[in-house]
Amino acid sequence: MLVTLDMAAGMIREGKALQIAADDSLLAQLPTGNWIGGTTPYFIAEEGGTFTKDKLFVNEFDFAEDVKVAVYGKYNVFQIVEDCFDNGLTMLILPYSSKVAEKYAKEAPDVEELLLHPTVGWVAGCDLNAVTETKVYDGTTGKSYTDKAVAMFLKLPEGKTAVINIVNIFEDDKNDPVITFPENTLEVTKCRVDGKEVDFAAYIREKNVDMLPLVADYNGVFINVSIKSNENGRVGLYAPVFKGIEYRFAKRVDNYAEEFEKRISAAGAGNPVFSCNCILNFLYGNLEGKKTHPYAGPVTFGEIAYQLLNQTLTYCEIV
Amino acid sequence: MAPNVQAKFQLILQKKLKYTSANLGFNMLISKLQRKVASDPDSMTACLNEVDEFAAKFPAVVNADFAKIAAL
Repeated sequence: MLVTLDMAAGMIREGKALQIAADDSLLAQLPTGNWIGGTTPYFIAEEGGTFTKDKLFVNEFDFAEDVKVAVYGKYNVFQIVEDCFDNGLTMLILPYSSKVAEKYAKEAPDVEELLLHPTVGWVAGCDLNAVTETKVYDGTTGKSYTDKAVAMFLKLPEGKTAVINIVNIFEDDKNDPVITFPENTLEVTKCRVDGKEVDFAAYIREKNVDMLPLVADYNGVFINVSIKSNENGRVGLYAPVFKGIEYRFAKRVDNYAEEFEKRISAAGAGNPVFSCNCILNFLYGNLEGKKTHPYAGPVTFGEIAYQLLNQTLTYCEIV
Repeated sequence: MAPNVQAKFQLILQKKLKYTSANLGFNMLISKLQRKVASDPDSMTACLNEVDEFAAKFPAVVNADFAKIAAL
């Protein structure tokens, strides 16, 4: 829920385990306590999509039997699979465009046992009209970081499981050629289109993909890779493409906002304990002022559902 | 997993049988193991063991999938 600084500080002083998203100017004023945080001024609140630097979005994890917080750099971020509770949920926040985020993005799918430890979270962002550093906060010390990940490990009661899911309006266009990439990367020059080597920058320019992401089919689940830039023959991506995965461009969506609403209704989550939504959905879906009940949370520069995703609504339920 | 489910799972990992779970993590695991089996068919037993490990960790999630897979 979206709260004032005083309310958030009060919840921290009560000893609650919290995940907090807000503008840096607010996070910096919070007292130390059992919380982690990340920067963003964009939210999907219960009242609808909003941009504010005056309020904080707080998730309270009152279901947790025990809580630990830890900070990781790019060399040890995957230590999270060792440090987490055996039956738990890991909430992870990464600063946008940091080395640790890049490392996580490129390597998470290959990390042994990651899928045995439900891991959800987001990439901290900033105001797109006044770009500043993106930060994560370890509330136990009050320290902020631009180059480290912060994790909150939540222990679940016996018999309870954390279930992570996504809402994605895109699916691959089966009539489109298959695209493969020679390495796990966030920046592409060459790719193979139906087996033939192609200059990817020229290919997407000719294709006029607009806001369409690349989509990979993970056993019936569609995972997006959105195009960030196309300059000087290099295509920048918001999430990595992976060697060995087949991609196609997404099917065109006639009405982005309408399709998003449809998918949210169909997803049918009951009571998510956390959700976040991509800034690209917020912008392209015109979500400002729109409700996405029951999903409320930060609007992010990347979503984490085990691995880094984008242009996706990600949520977690405890069942 | 039961022998009949294991036999069907082998086909799923070989992409000869299609099954999509309602669970994101399980689908990601199946997809990862399908790629592993495609590049190294001898890894099938190890991959089935990974499925068993996932099932042991999340019985509430996977038992429903196993029942559906048995009925395929």
